[in-house]
Amino acid sequence: MKSFSYAAPTSVEEAVALLADAMPHAKPLGGGTDLLVRMKRNLLAPKLLVDLAAIPELTGIEQIEQGLRIGSMVTHAEIAASRLVHEQAPAVAAASAAVGSVQTRNLGTIGGNLVSCVPSIDGGPALLALDAMVTVAAPDRRWQMPLEELLFQPHCSALTPDEVLVDIVIPSQSLGKASAFEKYRRRKGLSLAVVNAAAVVELDPSGERIGRAAIGLGAVAPTTIRARRAEEFLAGQPASVEILAEAAQIAVQETAPIDDFRASAEYRRHLVAVLTRRALEGALARARSGSGSGR
Amino acid sequence: MHFDVRILVNGSWRTASVEPQVTLLDLLRDEWHLTGAKRGCDEGDCGACTVLLDGKPVNSCLVLAVRANGRSVSTVEGLGDEDHLHPLQQAFIEHGALQCGYCGGGMLMSAKALLDANPSPTEAEIRQALAGNLCRCTGHVKIVEAVQSVSRAGGGAEREQAKTEGER
Repeated sequence: MKSFSYAAPTSVEEAVALLADAMPHAKPLGGGTDLLVRMKRNLLAPKLLVDLAAIPELTGIEQIEQGLRIGSMVTHAEIAASRLVHEQAPAVAAASAAVGSVQTRNLGTIGGNLVSCVPSIDGGPALLALDAMVTVAAPDRRWQMPLEELLFQPHCSALTPDEVLVDIVIPSQSLGKASAFEKYRRRKGLSLAVVNAAAVVELDPSGERIGRAAIGLGAVAPTTIRARRAEEFLAGQPASVEILAEAAQIAVQETAPIDDFRASAEYRRHLVAVLTRRALEGALARARSGSGSGR
Repeated sequence: MHFDVRILVNGSWRTASVEPQVTLLDLLRDEWHLTGAKRGCDEGDCGACTVLLDGKPVNSCLVLAVRANGRSVSTVEGLGDEDHLHPLQQAFIEHGALQCGYCGGGMLMSAKALLDANPSPTEAEIRQALAGNLCRCTGHVKIVEAVQSVSRAGGGAEREQAKTEGER
């Protein structure tokens, strides 16, 4: 790698001030599993790396009033091992467990995953389906936005060079819901998703019909998307295998996959139908084995 | 711009003065001559550089040396030596788990971390734990068998079943 300057601030305020000062030649360093690889390939050469690893505010998984808060520097390994996440948002834990390898999960962070805005990010579908919000810090202010807004364009998040992702919050109304995550990849490890999908299913009070469903899909559009037409179709429908399969077919219509070296667009469309159905079935099974009402 | 780092390597503190772009792998190999961790892909995709950072397997090629300051690093050199082989090293020899040996250091460290956390892994758990370590020579079978032989109860039984199925 080309040489660069390095700083390891201990507060968010310090970090964004450093980034603003050196704009646009500075980059924040998360787990390094994406940024350092690009730097080694000489795809970019920032003059300053602002390491976020020493900022306590960016760590931690905890229940807050708004919902479940996950610091942006929390690693995929920590999320996959978190009992809180397994209980409150199982698809999010499953997604982090599916990233890369043991080694990259111990380094890679959820914040870095989301900010990378790679179309196939595993962190996308479940958090999007759960209506996650993200907190952003700029030199003069902080605010929250829906995750959907952060995922602006492929490889280009909504953050400006002087902004840092602080945390992700899964809102209270999304917690404890039955959810599932599916990822199809060419190998069992160290592989990006060819297609990934997450589903959240809530049964109505009778337990026979779907009250509400949410579906997140990745690697089939410029950014992770919600399959809202499939979601609308599912609301109020009997919770049957046929209905889920039909919803999966509707979801296919909402995607715009491309041909690339991993798969053809045609195969990706096929995978959307399969993975959406499996994710819905998985979430439904969880909803049923819960209290029966999907809480 | 140089940074002084102090890292606990295999139980002993070591110091160095490094530039920010020096990775932990660079430091281990080029400065400290701990060459058990290999520079395979240098991108976190092969696992040949795997070391334990605070007990957790990581790709040392993706860890800036400055970030390892004050932390503990375990390399294959600390696992054992010729006179006192670690059970995993002994098993790798006995089971023929090494051919060219290039993936070996990384495999051993990932396996050690697995057994530290989960002393009786299933075959599936072993394979998952080693999924970030690629081997071009062995086809991974002997490596898995070696790890199974070291893990407590359960590893032997699965090996028996695999052998029986192979004979059919």
